[in-house]
Amino acid sequence: MTPAGADARRGGLERLEDTIEAGLTVGLGLSTVLLAAGLLFAYTPALLWGILLLMLTPVARVAVVTVGLAFERDWTFTLVSLFVLGVLASGIWVAVHR
Amino acid sequence: MPAHHAIVYLLTGAASGIVGAMLGIGGGVFLVPLLTLAFHVPIRAAVAASLVSVIATATASSTVNLDRGLVNMRLAMALEVATSLGGLGGGLAASLLSTQQLFLTFGGTLATMGVLMVMRSGRRNVIADMSVDPGRLGGYLEEGEDSYVYRLRRLPLALGASLVAGAVSGLLGLGGGIIKVPVLNTFCGIPIRVAAATSAFMIGVTAAASVFVYFARGDVVLPLASAVALGALAGSVAGVRIGQRVEARALKIGMAVVLLVVGGRMALEAL
Repeated sequence: MTPAGADARRGGLERLEDTIEAGLTVGLGLSTVLLAAGLLFAYTPALLWGILLLMLTPVARVAVVTVGLAFERDWTFTLVSLFVLGVLASGIWVAVHR
Repeated sequence: MPAHHAIVYLLTGAASGIVGAMLGIGGGVFLVPLLTLAFHVPIRAAVAASLVSVIATATASSTVNLDRGLVNMRLAMALEVATSLGGLGGGLAASLLSTQQLFLTFGGTLATMGVLMVMRSGRRNVIADMSVDPGRLGGYLEEGEDSYVYRLRRLPLALGASLVAGAVSGLLGLGGGIIKVPVLNTFCGIPIRVAAATSAFMIGVTAAASVFVYFARGDVVLPLASAVALGALAGSVAGVRIGQRVEARALKIGMAVVLLVVGGRMALEAL
């Protein structure tokens, strides 16, 4: 890879890292509010949605990485990321169909 | 749940979050023994609460580590293939093992990793010559004024360890960092801070691969998991900041001690 190509790829990765960081912060903030409210007021639906949102945050993170890498045309790692997304989807599918 | 129980679980989550984020291992390694041995929580409910708190720790510490450029994203993605498969398999297999077998697996795994870390704690994985190509799965690390290069060695070993780490995570609610960090650092050429940050980035995904299965089985006790996760969130933000100020060798020794003590205690409990 040329140095210019390497720099472009690293720049793309840094933008993707910023997007992931923002996404994780939003998911974390929302679930924190729901969990705190649920515990303070003994309100089970808030606890349920807070936990579900927290559980889904890593799944959303992998989805964002997959789309970001596809935009960067990094097909090898897009496939790798898609595979991980598939495994996570299988876990959810197994859970729903138990 | 009584208020004093919620406070105890919050503090327990915070303590495990601090140490878990410092070492990139998520904190389940402390949480499961504490919840089962000290508070007599059934082991499957403890594992489920631990998986939720591992996700909280991973997410909170990754927001800080990404900002500091410590996460090796490509390496994380490559290893996530193995670790997520292992996580799903471990989650499905958990109901097939007895409590005693779970305790023994947990204790034996931790103690072995502790011995390995002590044996190799003096090694450094960084290269001062910045003209060296880090390869596709290596990278760069800045420590104070100094910059280093590191290269990944033994990719098949890293993948194999990640598969086992995922399975152990699904079985025991650990997140798997307890296996990945020592193996990446001692055998695969990854500096301890990068190994910890990259592991913390991955363990949320590893835990997510199995946590939905626990949730569907009714093992996620909402007030318990919520209190522990909230504590872990706060603790992990503090832990990742403390970890930056601690010497790399001290981090390794601290981790080895924790592995030996907790692993030995759990194995004794099973015998």
